[in-house]
Amino acid sequence: MEFVNNIFVNIADLCRALFVWLLNLLGLPVGLAEVAMVAVYWLGIVIVCVFCALFYVIWERKLAGYIQRRPGPNRLGPNGWFHTVGDAIKLVMKEDIVPDGADKNVHLLAALLAFVPPMLALAAMPFGEGMTALDLELGVVYIMAVTTLASLPVLCAGYASNNKFAMMGAMRVVNQAISYEVPQALCILSVIMVAGTFNLNQIIDWQTGNIWLVCLQPVAFVVYLITALAECNRAPFDLPEGESELTAGVFTEYSGMRYALFYLAEYCNMFVAAGLATTLFLGGFTGPFLPGWVWFLLKTFVIMSFFIWVRWSFPRIRADHVLTFCWKVLVPLMLANVLVTGVVVYLLA
Amino acid sequence: MALKTNVRFPQRGGMPEGDPNNSHDLLTQEELEKRGILLTSLDKLFRWGTGWSLWPLQFGLACCAIEMICTTQSRFDMSRFGYEVFRNSPRQADVMIVAGTITEKMRPAVELLYHQMPEPKWVIAMGSCAISGGPFVDSYSVVAGADKVVPVDVYVPGCPPRPEALIDGMLQLKAKLLHPERQQVVRDVK
Amino acid sequence: MQNLNVNSERYTLNMGPQHPSTHGVLRIVADFDGETCVSADPQIGYLHRGMEKLLESRTYVQGMPYTDRLDYLAGVNNNLPYALAVEKLLGVEIPERASLLRMLSCEIMRLASYMVGIGIYIMDLGAVSAVFYPYQQREYALEVMSALCGARMTQGYIRFGGVQADWNEQCDAALQKLLDEFPPFLEMYHKLVDENEIFLHRTKGVGVVTAEQAKAYGLTGANLRASGVSYDLRRDAPYCLYDRFKFKVPVQQAGDCHARYVQRMEECEVIYQLIKDIYAALKETEGGEIMGKVPKVLRVPAGEAYAQTENPKGIMGCMVASDGKTNPLRVHFRRPSFDNIAIYSELMPGHKMADLVTIIASFDIVLGEIDA
Repeated sequence: MEFVNNIFVNIADLCRALFVWLLNLLGLPVGLAEVAMVAVYWLGIVIVCVFCALFYVIWERKLAGYIQRRPGPNRLGPNGWFHTVGDAIKLVMKEDIVPDGADKNVHLLAALLAFVPPMLALAAMPFGEGMTALDLELGVVYIMAVTTLASLPVLCAGYASNNKFAMMGAMRVVNQAISYEVPQALCILSVIMVAGTFNLNQIIDWQTGNIWLVCLQPVAFVVYLITALAECNRAPFDLPEGESELTAGVFTEYSGMRYALFYLAEYCNMFVAAGLATTLFLGGFTGPFLPGWVWFLLKTFVIMSFFIWVRWSFPRIRADHVLTFCWKVLVPLMLANVLVTGVVVYLLA
Repeated sequence: MALKTNVRFPQRGGMPEGDPNNSHDLLTQEELEKRGILLTSLDKLFRWGTGWSLWPLQFGLACCAIEMICTTQSRFDMSRFGYEVFRNSPRQADVMIVAGTITEKMRPAVELLYHQMPEPKWVIAMGSCAISGGPFVDSYSVVAGADKVVPVDVYVPGCPPRPEALIDGMLQLKAKLLHPERQQVVRDVK
Repeated sequence: MQNLNVNSERYTLNMGPQHPSTHGVLRIVADFDGETCVSADPQIGYLHRGMEKLLESRTYVQGMPYTDRLDYLAGVNNNLPYALAVEKLLGVEIPERASLLRMLSCEIMRLASYMVGIGIYIMDLGAVSAVFYPYQQREYALEVMSALCGARMTQGYIRFGGVQADWNEQCDAALQKLLDEFPPFLEMYHKLVDENEIFLHRTKGVGVVTAEQAKAYGLTGANLRASGVSYDLRRDAPYCLYDRFKFKVPVQQAGDCHARYVQRMEECEVIYQLIKDIYAALKETEGGEIMGKVPKVLRVPAGEAYAQTENPKGIMGCMVASDGKTNPLRVHFRRPSFDNIAIYSELMPGHKMADLVTIIASFDIVLGEIDA
């Protein structure tokens, strides 16, 4: 079990040893090995992103099917698990349409940059023991800062499309993203106050030493999940993508591979949110018997399934209710939570 | 980012004749496949992939639209084949299922939507009205068939066709994608 | 709270005719100020197939299938007013069993239509899964119709003088399945939707139609009853054999989108009970005639007749004018959805963009009927 637990760490060490040997052979300074390792870590994160997106696309369709009393995609591959392959191949070969009056550069850039924020966030995510690519002292703050960026490509997409529906969607995205940052920050603040550190690995250690933070901060956990849905533009907060109101909302003018990038980036954003929830509240990669990274994947799977379940169950919230809910319900609730947490921590310390 | 392939139907001449006295040392594609080696062109790969992922445009006009909705519901479930992702925006759709009567007032909208869809795209004419005007063929305001407006690939007869018929239509379209050399798709195709 | 120093621009948004919500090809040209609608203009005619003119060049019997395509969610309900109007001119008597069969098939398709109306309503609000469960019940209802006359949707079952086919054991089995499966579904659906906070926020207080407004605009059906006016043609001006059956007519007072949802859910229970009662009465007329004395070549005596029935969408009426030939001189349908949507341009301004969809969906319109 130790071997499986450390398998990725061992692979990384092997790569580092290989680079060191290569550099010694070529007579270059050994410090360059670390620079080369950046490329290896980045490759690992890209692989994780791509696989999670591909997996969760089909899992969403199948789970939606089970909720709706039907089988879901079940023809291609064993029980239908390879349907995303067909989707990917088709999206690659579609014609690329850029509408006439659209801003061509921003239209393309928005699609390309959609994947960047989740990749940056996953760089600091602890996948397992010693499997954090970027173990920052301010890990939590870094991830929060980077996930805020995730709504920027969506805004650019809506703005650049020369389409009223897209513009409406873009405005709604900004509304939501900015507003729901505040309760999210307060949730994370509550966790940090209890654990006493910003470092993600140390938060996990604290939880291993004491108790999972979901038991100490249940309100913060629930509010965190709600704000995560809002940040990722998932139902019931999926107004930017409108659907029954206005065709495809922000992504109305996106076709083919550009649309695929947004589509997959949405799942990566959700994966980041689920990963952060796991790390902060559910004890991260710790657990008996199985290797750490398997536990991490299992826990994020549970939270992602919860996100998908909520998406297919609830109606959409109206645009003005989104804001009243945030500012009049969540923010006072979280401020009260922070107050109570602070008092308790002070008394017990 | 899009790769240009020419996917038009029908196209190049028939499949190569199998030569029973094949005295060359080279094997044909079929013989290789029998030996478990798969060679394919990008075109074939793309057509195979598209066949599993035909996203319809949400375009219900009249009564046939209700049967189209019933096809996506639990009893008949078009999603088993991967086709349940109905897109609202024509930019993201592959197949336009013309479900219902096209009237003269609606005709420019149908044409515009067809042009807004990116290549490669297909059209399924569902129901009598879309095939030839149906019971309204001699009306002053009805276009006698969708193929007067857009090029149609598959015709699904019925008034309205049963959901099974629509699923069969989609599978016929998939068969058409996989076998572009055939002029008319035969029934028993896997 | 309006900040008068803010300079905002009105813009025009065009919803449809290709509409994500599948009520059909309705086009709404709306002016918005931010998210609030300032004016709305529904534009119809994208499905105008010239049905009334076409019926003039068909014989009476050939014209019957066209009526199915009006409110295509409930085919038989549209056959009925046309058949009743022509039978008034013909002066033919309908056997009891035929009348009961007509009523039973109409009520079953009314249930099917309500399932679509409620399901699509909740789907348009965003909860996509909630449309799958009503459609399952619709499938049970369509199975009964399929066993009865062979067609799922546009049946053409009601003919002049009676009905096309008699009840058989397959229908018995299918109807029993529907009667067994429906109450647990209704209970489950109440639990799923009724108390949902988001649903209540989206629908309460939205699209309020007062009783006076409803009467002034000629709203009929569930929309009228949801605004506090207790008027149901089956009870107040009965046709066929409806005067034999006692049934409740629920009424809501609020008149908003939520009331229209509650109204339809309550009416589902009424329809369910009515189906059971009509079925029991049908069992007693075993072996009766299903077709009255109607000549093979139908030459309807000259004159004019009007018949109206309570359809799932409202009151449908049919005026038939004949000059003694085999083709009608003029047929005109009073279509409930056509009158129901007249209220949109007054109702929509002042609401947010998302409310427009809620209002359209709560009125349960069908475009085949609006455009004829």
